[in-house]
Amino acid sequence: MGTEYRVMGLFTDENRAVSAIEAIKDSPWSLRRVHSPVPSHKISDALDLKKSKIGYFTLAGGITGFFAGFLLAVFTASQWHLIVSGKPIIALVPFFIVGFEFTILFAIFGNVVGLIHQMQLPEFTGLEEYDPRCSGEHFGILAACKADELERLKAFFQNRGGEINIFSKKQEHQ
Amino acid sequence: MSELTFAKIDQTVLDTLKPPDRSYWLTVGILFAGALAGAGCWIYQILNGIGVAGMNNPVAWGTYLINFVFWVGIAHSGTLISAILHLLRAGWRNPIARAAETMTVFAVCIAGLFPFIHLGRVWLVFYMLPIPNQRNLWQNFQSPLMFDVVAISTYLTVSSLFWYTGMLPDLAVVRDRATGIRKKIFTVISLGWTGAHEQWRHYARGYLFFAALATPLVISVHSVVSWDFALAVVPGWHTTIFAPYFVAGAIHSGLAMVLTLMIPIRKLFHYEKIITLEVLESVAKTIIFTGLIVGFAYATEFFMAWYSQNPVEMAIFKYRPTGDYALGFWIMVVCNTIIPLLFFFKRIRTTIFWLFGISIFVNIGMWYERFVIIISSVSRDFIPHAWGLYSPTIIEFGIMLGAFCLFFFFFLLFVKHLPSVSMTEMKETVDQGAGHGD
Repeated sequence: MGTEYRVMGLFTDENRAVSAIEAIKDSPWSLRRVHSPVPSHKISDALDLKKSKIGYFTLAGGITGFFAGFLLAVFTASQWHLIVSGKPIIALVPFFIVGFEFTILFAIFGNVVGLIHQMQLPEFTGLEEYDPRCSGEHFGILAACKADELERLKAFFQNRGGEINIFSKKQEHQ
Repeated sequence: MSELTFAKIDQTVLDTLKPPDRSYWLTVGILFAGALAGAGCWIYQILNGIGVAGMNNPVAWGTYLINFVFWVGIAHSGTLISAILHLLRAGWRNPIARAAETMTVFAVCIAGLFPFIHLGRVWLVFYMLPIPNQRNLWQNFQSPLMFDVVAISTYLTVSSLFWYTGMLPDLAVVRDRATGIRKKIFTVISLGWTGAHEQWRHYARGYLFFAALATPLVISVHSVVSWDFALAVVPGWHTTIFAPYFVAGAIHSGLAMVLTLMIPIRKLFHYEKIITLEVLESVAKTIIFTGLIVGFAYATEFFMAWYSQNPVEMAIFKYRPTGDYALGFWIMVVCNTIIPLLFFFKRIRTTIFWLFGISIFVNIGMWYERFVIIISSVSRDFIPHAWGLYSPTIIEFGIMLGAFCLFFFFFLLFVKHLPSVSMTEMKETVDQGAGHGD
């Protein structure tokens, strides 16, 4: 059994946080998470984050929505074959409007489902290793290390101008 | 804005959430009483029938539908500010985006009440939903009124989800600084947001899609509202200009309401460094633009009536500025197109007194615009022996007052209990000059 320590380095400067991330990638420590009060392109680039796949959820929702709206209008009209204003029973133009509104509605539903699924929210366990300063003005970098590396990791963050927060140690299975 | 730091932004916004004093609760109480008075009028109408309102042949659409269109219009600028200006990367939107989005959600809720009130027999509202009634009769989606049901429901759902999603990072800020039961509540409603980059990666993309989808939606919704009129053969309504004219008018009124709401909030909550004069000035400049579009639309309607040489169209457009509702027409023209031109003067658009005063005039003018469009056309259509006048009854005024009180009641509760300025977007403005950037 080994003991793993989680240390969060907190920086007020985005560039210092980015430089710390780059340095951790070449170190024996493992980078767990990076928190920030605002979305940051620099941090995303440093983490090599890929483009989100939310768009596929949105697209799927939108396509489903169009057919749902259009076919709903077709279905209700076909229940009573009542000619209105000389228009055909299955009138394409007005039903397209219903299809359009449903496209937007379902695309948004898809977007929300995608957000919930991809961000894995609601998720409250992440708050256990989280520093509230990260929603204020700090960029938090959570790194993990072995017990014998703890002092070095603390010094690493401190030397770069960061404050540190050590979370309760985790037992690591061997 | 350069003096702002992340900490100052948080502090300024979080200060607004401190327990309010007695005057706040007194105002909330008065507004609630006003809303109850409106509800009382509606109950009276339900018990006694729709006849207690002033609507009768030939004017069957009265203040209820005027208010419906007015409130849908108010809602629109919230989406303009939060979605369209987000896509255009207009940094000045960030300080007012949250309040404008909130205004949208509440205004659509209020607007959505009016078709219910107008129905009279409100218990039959399910006829508008896609479920069959006792005789297995389904609704026909060829009617613009059915488009409207779909459009407004979609708009309410989308704007509520957009509002909540946009607020998620800010709810986490409040959670992280709250204690006790408040902390528990905000922990739940912030869904465990931590601002991890894995979350931001999806969030920024999702927010962009929200904005991209809300933009065509907002244009379609007021176009659909305009088709409630334009697809009828009533003179003064049956025109193709209605969709763009209504959309421009909606944004015009909504921007004015943004000023009406933001100026007192700015003063009361000491938001001067966040909602700067430049922000209000940008809203005023946009009002000049929308005012000119609206003015152009008014002129085009008259031109088309003359150019068509259709006697009925010509008669209605002669009737509007000179007939029974001429006062309403001239209030509309002066308040919506002439008075906003004062914003061309820098001194006026940078003076709080004038900004607030002119916003009130535009609100009044936009209400009268809907009055003129709806009432004047149906009061004098094709057959002279069927002409008739309309005046609202005390019940209608009571319901209208109740609606305004309910709107401000909701808004007042919001500004004291949830962050009324987006801290995250303000931080982005300070940091990068952009919002929820992707």
